[in-house]
Amino acid sequence: MVTLGSYLFLSFALFVAGLAVIIARKNIIAMLLGIELMLNAAALNFVAYTRFVNSNIDGHIMALFIIVIAAAEAAVGLAIVIRFFQLRESIHIDDAAQLQN
Amino acid sequence: MPFNYLENLTHYIPELIICFTMIACILFESAYEKNDSDRGILYLIAILGLGSAGVFAYQKIFAENTFILGSALAIDSFSSTAKVLMIIGTIGALYLSKISKDIYQDLKGEFVIMSTGVLVGGCLLASANNMLILYIGIETLSILSYVMASFKKTDDRSSEAGLKYVLYGGVSAAVMLFGMSHIYGVLGTINFQEMATALSGIAQSYPNNQLTILIPSFILFIAGIGYKISSVPFHMWTPDVYEGSPMPVTTFFSIVPKIAGITILLRVSSLFFSESNLLSVSWFGIISSMSILTITVGNIAAIGQRSVKRMLAYSSISHAGMMMLGIVVLNTVGMRSILFYAVTYIFMTLVAFYILSIVNDEYDNDHFERFSGLIYKKPLMAILMAVTMFSLAGIPPLSGFVAKFHILNAVVKEGYYTLAILAGLNSVISLYYYLKIVRLMVFKPYEGSENLVGFGVLNQTIVTVLFIPIVMLGIFWAGTMAKLNLANILMN
Repeated sequence: MVTLGSYLFLSFALFVAGLAVIIARKNIIAMLLGIELMLNAAALNFVAYTRFVNSNIDGHIMALFIIVIAAAEAAVGLAIVIRFFQLRESIHIDDAAQLQN
Repeated sequence: MPFNYLENLTHYIPELIICFTMIACILFESAYEKNDSDRGILYLIAILGLGSAGVFAYQKIFAENTFILGSALAIDSFSSTAKVLMIIGTIGALYLSKISKDIYQDLKGEFVIMSTGVLVGGCLLASANNMLILYIGIETLSILSYVMASFKKTDDRSSEAGLKYVLYGGVSAAVMLFGMSHIYGVLGTINFQEMATALSGIAQSYPNNQLTILIPSFILFIAGIGYKISSVPFHMWTPDVYEGSPMPVTTFFSIVPKIAGITILLRVSSLFFSESNLLSVSWFGIISSMSILTITVGNIAAIGQRSVKRMLAYSSISHAGMMMLGIVVLNTVGMRSILFYAVTYIFMTLVAFYILSIVNDEYDNDHFERFSGLIYKKPLMAILMAVTMFSLAGIPPLSGFVAKFHILNAVVKEGYYTLAILAGLNSVISLYYYLKIVRLMVFKPYEGSENLVGFGVLNQTIVTVLFIPIVMLGIFWAGTMAKLNLANILMN
């Protein structure tokens, strides 16, 4: 029996995994992947709450919009990473350290 | 529930005009040759379009307040006022992008397109009345901003600014969504009014399990909005992004997303937390500590900067904190004080960035020393810059003082003396770095050999016109304040 609790646990695990990727990995592409994980955790939450608790479809609509907007954000993010790579020949986050105090 | 788009058409005319302006700009942009230097028609279309949108938004302030599109958007006098302010800021940034050399000639058209796009997001955010519109508004604002930050394609620093913006923006949007999803799960709806009703029901009984989910969720939720208005502790991207972006983009960033973020924070606070219960006490505890931290960190970090742009970035953080302080006072007095602060902040930011941008174009950097002896070279501009700096610091009788006074007055009337004292002390700290520019301009000899050709007659006139409200609003503020008093959030 899959309950709401298991979905919430899974989404929490996804969220923490995404956050851990962003904090621990130094590769910018991997960090973008981490953001996607976190967004998917939120989308999963919306869908699970709609399925188990709430009778309206607001959550489904939110989840759809999250997917679409995450795609747009990833597209822009990757374009900027490509430009960064062309200028610095690296996708290591430590190389993005010109702008500092 | 089917709804008719045409029936509601009259309520979102400003947004429609801005959208059509953007589309027209895209079409005209594609008609230009790549090296065609003059994009006059594009700017003309954009400024005419935004101007007419501003006029329509201004009329909406006095029109009837309604919810449209299944109560997804609240067209009320508050959101219309915020729209007018954002449109003024965008027009100011547009003209700066035309005269600035910091944006490549063939990308100027794109600046027009992107900034009108961001403005659409800002308008959505200002009148958002459910969490979906809030999310779409924030993302429309953010995704286009990422592109704008990395406008200088061949410049390392600009692409790094864009990269940092993408990473911080993505993370904070995801954190906000995670919080929103749990709020939705507990309250069962994404509509703000229904959420407010459910919240007041839940908050009556304490302790209960729902509150233990809601309080951390609201903390996650505020991360997303706090990132847009760059409040501490979500401000780390601001100085870097502002420094790396081209000058007109920085001007734009320090006006439009900030005002949009403040409006949505104000709307959320006044809809959800107007009753006094455990939830609202913890919310306002967070908001007030965040705002004081924002003011303090912004001011203290601004002291040691070499680059004027970075100093203005930190100062814009502290001004955002000041506007957040007004949110703690949830009544019409607090609301109109915030809006008045936003009005004066727009003009002060525009004048400071116009002068800085022209100086920066001349020397190719924006260190403090570049202002040395400016008064001997361009006396009018130096005096305007000095007075603007005094106004930013909040010295009477300038508009910056009146704005700060109203916010502090509202805070003191509610009995938050500690907050008021801390904010006042910060105003003293800020004097140090604002007056540094004044000291350099007046007491140092002029060193450079440049002619500062950017300060032509036209540009000096425009800076002067932008400067007039700074002085006028400091003396004759009552009329504007009475107008802003009309701004009301539509509750239900």
